[in-house]
Amino acid sequence: MARPSLFGLLLIAPALAMIGALFLYPLGFSLASAFTAPGGGFSLMHFDKAYELYSTDILFTLFIVITSTILTGILSVTIAGILTLGETPWLVAALRNLYRWPLFIPFIVAAQCMRTFLAKNGLMNNTIVGMGLMEPLQATSLLDWRGIIITFVWKQVPFVTLMLAGAMASLDRATIEAGRNLGASRLRVLIELVLPQVSQTLLVGLVLSFVTMLSVLSVPMMVAGSQPTMLTVDMAFRINSYGDYATANALGVISYLISGMAAWIYLRHNVKREAAA
Amino acid sequence: MGPVNAPVAAAIDIDHLQVSYGSQQVLHGVSLTVQPGEFIAILGSSGCGKTTLLRTIAGFQKASGGAIRLFGRDVVAMPPEKRGMAMMFQSYALWPHMTVLGNVGYGLRLRGVGKDEIRARVAGVLKMLNLSGLEDRKVTNLSGGQRQRVALGRALAIEPDILLLDEPLSNLDAKVRIQLRSEIKALQNRLGFTAIHVTHDREEAMTMADRIVVMDAGRIAQMGTPKEVFDRPNSPFVASFMGAENTIHLDVRSNSAGVEVQAGPGPSIRWDGEVPVGPVTAYFRDDVASLDAPDARRDGSIVLPGTITQRTYPGGHYRYVVAIGDRHFTVTDDDYHELDRPVGLRLPLASLHLFPSESKGENHA
Repeated sequence: MARPSLFGLLLIAPALAMIGALFLYPLGFSLASAFTAPGGGFSLMHFDKAYELYSTDILFTLFIVITSTILTGILSVTIAGILTLGETPWLVAALRNLYRWPLFIPFIVAAQCMRTFLAKNGLMNNTIVGMGLMEPLQATSLLDWRGIIITFVWKQVPFVTLMLAGAMASLDRATIEAGRNLGASRLRVLIELVLPQVSQTLLVGLVLSFVTMLSVLSVPMMVAGSQPTMLTVDMAFRINSYGDYATANALGVISYLISGMAAWIYLRHNVKREAAA
Repeated sequence: MGPVNAPVAAAIDIDHLQVSYGSQQVLHGVSLTVQPGEFIAILGSSGCGKTTLLRTIAGFQKASGGAIRLFGRDVVAMPPEKRGMAMMFQSYALWPHMTVLGNVGYGLRLRGVGKDEIRARVAGVLKMLNLSGLEDRKVTNLSGGQRQRVALGRALAIEPDILLLDEPLSNLDAKVRIQLRSEIKALQNRLGFTAIHVTHDREEAMTMADRIVVMDAGRIAQMGTPKEVFDRPNSPFVASFMGAENTIHLDVRSNSAGVEVQAGPGPSIRWDGEVPVGPVTAYFRDDVASLDAPDARRDGSIVLPGTITQRTYPGGHYRYVVAIGDRHFTVTDDDYHELDRPVGLRLPLASLHLFPSESKGENHA
């Protein structure tokens, strides 16, 4: 039946046109410009230049994003686990009310807060010194790669926790109770019985966080100093200071490849799951 | 309790157990003693606290008062994983990411049993449950009956002293349910574990249990063997819960030889059974009533005149609806009778459950 499908196509045509004009065309344009020599013709020279200037930053970006994703995963599982299996009502209630707050704070505000919190004379160090746990001379600034990771994790944990706690809450409670009944501690129930049932949700949350963190400009710009820094900062710098779109586009393609890697892991896991089912 | 001449500890000893959800008290001091190897059914309508009682024994619900002793050890403050019981759930509660082997063997894994031994012991359990060869099957690819068998296997693999059953059969279709009923009972006889089975299905409780506990509104209404509870309910609630849902009002007067029982305007019947004196309400099941002549007089039975208003043939016998005044009763009879025919509804006094009427005109049915 050709006609209904043609009619369907007609219905979604405006939406498709918008995607084409606003997303696919600029994407194709940047891709093409990354691979085009100044005089025209195919060339990898922009990638050469990007690699030459920013290979450290590529590794730095990978390190930051992968570390943040892993830490986000660990913390989210911990919080969602406490929310699901916790038996101390006030702790669960407090956590449930508190954990979502960073969701409503933009990255740039979070970065600004972290600047005053993590600086050498920031709130955190002053508090620790004030409590007599540290000498003022030992205070160091965390406004470097650590600051970026702390900000990213602080910002992404609520998001992943929200998804994960929702998935855990919709599990058949009896599958948890059956485990405890047979003698499993709450930690074992979480790791061996609950997590495998929500692994799909955890993976989606982490992949989305990974891609988000890869594309944030404000946090590395504000929290950490100059070198090394993340690819987003480098791209902004190439464009703002040199009008060098070609190298910025080449860095963009590298970012795409890194996100593509995350997507590939996700898809592969999906295929495996479907094959097993 | 001293070590010398200490009596054999009960498998489960529940002592004035109280449970509240917030300010609402659900269990009002329940006491129950279960001997090792005994099969107890807790029967009650929904909301009576039977599931709460089971979950409190398992440790999923905190008690607000009282004690639970398992073989003499107080577990009321113990987390569920330390209590060493096994439980079956209504929803099967199998772990979908594990195979049959993974599910049944999990309890053994928790106890540090080696891989090869787990496989061997799981194979033994599966054989017992007619599931041999399904070890590596995903549990999501099993039928409902098979799933609940796997859940039973998972519970039995750790060789528990106590098995708790939380309406495990109510999601299964009738045929599988009856089959699994006798399988669980047979396994219990063979392995000797103590079982507490929560159900709202009277027949299930009667056929499986050594003793039945009927619960009502957070209290134990009656405890006894299935026959005791069925034949001699101790309250109108238990009587109607055990199926005696028809009621009639009778007048009982004592005289020199015993009592005289009178139903409505009819003649009074002399009787020597032990019954409460005064206005009483009689509870009876459909199957104790029989048809007779409208003016018949039988020793030990009251006969209520009425007319047949409906006749059905469910197979084997006829089922009649008899109208007496504005009340309707169902009776089975082997013979064919015309509709609108005047008949007598004969009720043997020995089969009626008589309780003093609480207040005038009140009807418990």
